[in-house]
Amino acid sequence: MKNIKQASLDPDLSEKRKEVKKKLKKLEGLPSLPPIIQRLNQMIEDERTSLHQIAELIEKDQVITTKILRLANSAFYGFPRKVSTVQQAMMLLGLNVLKILIMTSSIFEFIHKEDIGLWEHSIGVAACSKIIAEKIGLGDAQEIATAGLLHDLGRVVIRVIFKEDQQKISDLISQGVDPLSAEKKILGIDHAEIGAFLMAQWNLPERLIEAVAFHHNLENSKKFRKEASILHLADLLVHARGYGKTPYEGLPPFEVRALKYLGLGWGEIKEILFNLEPRLYELKFFTEELKKEISTENREP
Amino acid sequence: MQRLPLSYLKPGMKTYEEVYDAQGRVLCGKGVELTEEMIKRFYELGVSYVTVEGTPVKLPWEKSLEEELSELEKRFEGVNDENLLQIKEILKELLYEKYQASLSRS
Repeated sequence: MKNIKQASLDPDLSEKRKEVKKKLKKLEGLPSLPPIIQRLNQMIEDERTSLHQIAELIEKDQVITTKILRLANSAFYGFPRKVSTVQQAMMLLGLNVLKILIMTSSIFEFIHKEDIGLWEHSIGVAACSKIIAEKIGLGDAQEIATAGLLHDLGRVVIRVIFKEDQQKISDLISQGVDPLSAEKKILGIDHAEIGAFLMAQWNLPERLIEAVAFHHNLENSKKFRKEASILHLADLLVHARGYGKTPYEGLPPFEVRALKYLGLGWGEIKEILFNLEPRLYELKFFTEELKKEISTENREP
Repeated sequence: MQRLPLSYLKPGMKTYEEVYDAQGRVLCGKGVELTEEMIKRFYELGVSYVTVEGTPVKLPWEKSLEEELSELEKRFEGVNDENLLQIKEILKELLYEKYQASLSRS
């Protein structure tokens, strides 16, 4: 399949695109980042701060501590042992990942019952990305898992702050327009770019931003083509296995050159899928639990 | 056999394989009937999952092989790219192997 290069956006769309970015910049309608993030940033920059002090700060916040431990223990990081303290989580995951976990858990909190399939998909892609990163020996597989978790952040954001546009996008998709073009037609920008834009606003590492920005557009990636290719492949494999739910009824478009960029053959793809299966089995318990929680929360006034 | 998180374990279930802690030490052999105390100890030692004999818990999200295969066909409907079809073949193989294993072992 050839990707038809879109002609330059018509004026209405480029206006819309500006409007979307403006809204994102001001984080209008987005859950504000918990104040703890700012404190955390200061502490991380201050070299005199010890990891112990950082852990102490986080542990003061019960809700965030619970969230961190729950995510760290969910099988997508796949630690053999239960992570029971923030300090342990910090040592296993690194500060960057920890920071991201705090941020994303506040975004994903806005996910509703009908959207949990997307969250499930993201968790599956996180697990798969980590397996692929380890397979090809790419450094800091934890960080790649986190990029996997965030790859559809833009879709979450569209659902949370551009509700009316989301409806129009869904309508187009049900008329047979492919999801990426539908997003571009309505918003002038797609979810990959939105996610990356927001991540840049949050000062997340460039590696994560680029991976998310180009996970549907490998050709345009520059410094982190392997990372983007990992997300691209993980996204396909998780869809192919039927884990979670996204706007794609079947499979997302696949660029086979991802395999070339990663140096992977079919034997390795097979190993990756066979390693992924038990991970997904374990993750299912975690997401089912979340589903139950969300549906009881929604029932309460 | 069925792999279960600790919260699903009940006394009386039998281990299908050894239970290890994070350091790889054996906490419990195979074919051992679980007791309340043992499950408590697993919690304390940070065990996350234990594989038990049979399929004592009905998991509402689990599908039969037939369901899995027909859903796989649906996801790949209209796909004729040979690379994607290769992935489909691997998944089929995976499903057959998975269900074969649980049949012959349970």
